[in-house]
Amino acid sequence: MAPRIDEVQLSLPATVIIIPAFNEAEAIARVIEEIREHCDFPIFVIDDASTDDTVNKATLAGAKVIPLATQLGAWGAMQTGLRLAQRDGYQYAITMDADGQHDAASLKELMHPVVKGLADVSIGACTQRGSKLRKIAWLLMKQASGLTLEDITSGFRVYNQHAIQELSSKRATLLDYQDVGVLLLLQSCGLTIVDVKVRMQDRQNGASRIFRSWLIVFCYMCQTLLLGLTKRKLARSFHRVRATG
Amino acid sequence: MLSIVTGIIGISVAVLIILLVRRDRLHVRHGFMWIIVALCFAVLGVFPGIIDSLARLTGVSYPPILGITVAIALLVIKILMMDLERSKIEMRNQRLIQRVAILEADIRELQLDHRNGH
Repeated sequence: MAPRIDEVQLSLPATVIIIPAFNEAEAIARVIEEIREHCDFPIFVIDDASTDDTVNKATLAGAKVIPLATQLGAWGAMQTGLRLAQRDGYQYAITMDADGQHDAASLKELMHPVVKGLADVSIGACTQRGSKLRKIAWLLMKQASGLTLEDITSGFRVYNQHAIQELSSKRATLLDYQDVGVLLLLQSCGLTIVDVKVRMQDRQNGASRIFRSWLIVFCYMCQTLLLGLTKRKLARSFHRVRATG
Repeated sequence: MLSIVTGIIGISVAVLIILLVRRDRLHVRHGFMWIIVALCFAVLGVFPGIIDSLARLTGVSYPPILGITVAIALLVIKILMMDLERSKIEMRNQRLIQRVAILEADIRELQLDHRNGH
């Protein structure tokens, strides 16, 4: 199949795809193959101390695997990838989930606002997805943090070099999740974040790492809401540029 | 009689703390603070009357509450400092784990190149 983001690729040699994975042996190979059908960017798979065959499957599929010695959680793994991207001087980092939820066919639209300099970060938003529980969670998180983005929990994002640098910093290390804390950090650094509407597929395997049990959701919500409330902007409403691909 | 009981308790706690510092079980940084605590324990143990005079001086009508209030305040500060310290250690630990993972990935790549090269 012909690469679909040829024209984007020509102008950006330095883009990397970062995929944090925890026990995704069944899905990871297909996810990587699907990405390969659309582009040739290097792929980093950050293995969050999986107990299954994720490392081998991802290596065989052609990704560079970064194996964490102990589990750091979704954001800890993601930051590992971003730190490597920063060290190696990549200009753009695309982050995706390892469960096949994100459609590599949307990469071009997602990259467009960042590559064109309209925004520092773009987030692939799919608000149709998700249960009632997730919708309530989103609403609460938006209210608490003052963020106006549509899909703040989406892991399908494009960061530019500036965002990569901020997110590799020590300050970002103690965050646990990539949603409210990360977005507020980026916002406080004066970076522009946009939503891009994308299609999302059903997870090939398993469920969300967070939205699976009430207790985990409760702890997650307490942490996230506290973060949102303590770090929200006091004055000046969040400047947002709308760009749909 | 009372000052003998409290004196024994105070001095034994002080001796225990100094022993721990001497045997390098406590980092000197924490040790310094604990030596002061040990001194306070010993002095207040032997002379419990100090609290009464301090209470009279500060206008506290029920002297024991002064000691307890000061102790709780110091404990809260100490616990807060411990959590600050712990957050810092967690952050360092996490960044170290990340760096080790990155280096391990580099090593794997080098090994693979090396194998393919021969």
